[in-house]
Amino acid sequence: MTPAYLLNKIKVFHQSQCNLDIPHLVIEPNQCVAILGDNGAGKSTLLNLLAYLSKPDEGELSLMGQQSKPRLSTLQRRSIGYVSQQPFLLTGSLYNNVALALKLQGISSSQRPKLTDRALQQVNLTHLASKPAYTLSGGELKRAAIARAIAHEPQILLLDEPFSHLDQSHIQHLELIIEDLAYQSGKTVIFSTHDRLQGVALADTTINLIKGQITKSPLLNVFQGQLDDRIFNTGKLCIYTSGQLLKANHVAIDPHEIIISTSVLDSSMRNHFSGRLTTISEEAGTIHLTIDCKERFYAIISIESLQSLNLSIGDNLCLSFKSTALTLF
Amino acid sequence: MSFFADSFSAAIDLITTFDPALYQVVFNSVSISLMAATTAGVLAIPAGILMALNQFLGKQLVQNILNTLMALPTVLIGLLLYGLFSRLGPLGHLELLYTPSAIIIAQALLIFPIMMNLAIAAVTTADPRLVPTLISLGAKPLALVIQVAKQTRFIMLAAVITGFGRAIGEVGAAMMVGGNIEGYTRTMTTAIALETGKGEFEVGLALGLLLLLIAFLVNFILSWLQQEYR
Repeated sequence: MTPAYLLNKIKVFHQSQCNLDIPHLVIEPNQCVAILGDNGAGKSTLLNLLAYLSKPDEGELSLMGQQSKPRLSTLQRRSIGYVSQQPFLLTGSLYNNVALALKLQGISSSQRPKLTDRALQQVNLTHLASKPAYTLSGGELKRAAIARAIAHEPQILLLDEPFSHLDQSHIQHLELIIEDLAYQSGKTVIFSTHDRLQGVALADTTINLIKGQITKSPLLNVFQGQLDDRIFNTGKLCIYTSGQLLKANHVAIDPHEIIISTSVLDSSMRNHFSGRLTTISEEAGTIHLTIDCKERFYAIISIESLQSLNLSIGDNLCLSFKSTALTLF
Repeated sequence: MSFFADSFSAAIDLITTFDPALYQVVFNSVSISLMAATTAGVLAIPAGILMALNQFLGKQLVQNILNTLMALPTVLIGLLLYGLFSRLGPLGHLELLYTPSAIIIAQALLIFPIMMNLAIAAVTTADPRLVPTLISLGAKPLALVIQVAKQTRFIMLAAVITGFGRAIGEVGAAMMVGGNIEGYTRTMTTAIALETGKGEFEVGLALGLLLLLIAFLVNFILSWLQQEYR
């Protein structure tokens, strides 16, 4: 299958400092991909590249198997829908904004009303169609920007921090829209977020960025420390590693690989810690737990597991993981 | 004191009785400057948007030249155009000298750098998300210029009005290339200079008051547009 994007030896510099350095990256089509990382990790830089709003200083980027050119063809441009971190709506009503986007994409005037209505319906904003764009609230504005980006039915949808500055109800609403676009409509949805748990929960795959570089770590349960003779010492905990590296300053544990139990398990797993359950939350059909074992661990379990373990805040729990579940860097 | 008061009273009379000769000059002046502002606007606004949107070698030099041209003395424009349009000049065959067209060209040249600079400022001070948003929505170069102009239309209109205000108030170039021909190329400013020289102070004062009224209207529209834009 032709990848949605193929990045090769990509480098982006800002004032002689390398902001993004990706030796090789393939983004498969029809996937929901989360770009995770802290502020300044390079998430927006990468999304701007994928949206063809900026060019890499080095390397090659290909879209749907076609090498990038200085300007995208009409068809290539139509294959991408992009929503920036702080979307900007043009003057006029919400309906006008969506209709103008279709006009700019070269969609015929006879098709525009139908596509505009459909896009507004997809994001539940039909009732606000005639409202001036500047009167929309933060959550409505993000949904309006998504409607504008999906109206021409692109194959790829890029969303830069879609959940930032939104309250919980708007976040849940947006999550449903993204899930619908990714899993029902079969689009390639690529979104960035600094909320790693949310990203892991929503996406099929994650791209984890640290200071402009991709790491295999899911960037959850990342601890600083020193590696000495296969044992990674965080200063508070000692974690057994499989010895894949001799030197590392960070360790990350995939939250999916952490086994939660109410008593110590008799198993081949080398790492066992006990601690207090501090938070329980639901995200996109999965349960997220935070357990304080001197270091704070995040774990993801199913709703069925939560029910069978009968967990509540303050419970003492055991968490276990294999040394092979670690990523050292 | 009685001379000034009598002249002022006579000037008010000329204005309120709608003296045909006086209003002919006003009509000439307004129509010439409107044409100049429209011509310059049609060229300067797209040029300003294009310059603001694109990076090219020598952009700073062009910007410096534009800034210099904003302070260009009007008589110098008149002098250069006189040389070009005079019978022996390279464009003498066009027979533009002492025609309203010559004044329109002179005024358009005078206000072009002002309008272009205002258009550049309109784009560079617009919301930084505007251009990336339009590009991400699929705007091609021509559509991008049109949409940027639409989104900043109040500032662009303000640029045209500012240009009109500058054009209607200039005297040097209009005098040199227009020739101050009655009923043809006589504008308010050239008429004020002529009538005052002839001792017809009240006519000059009446035209001066009308020019002031036009300047007030221009400023009123400008401040209204600025409030609308906010």
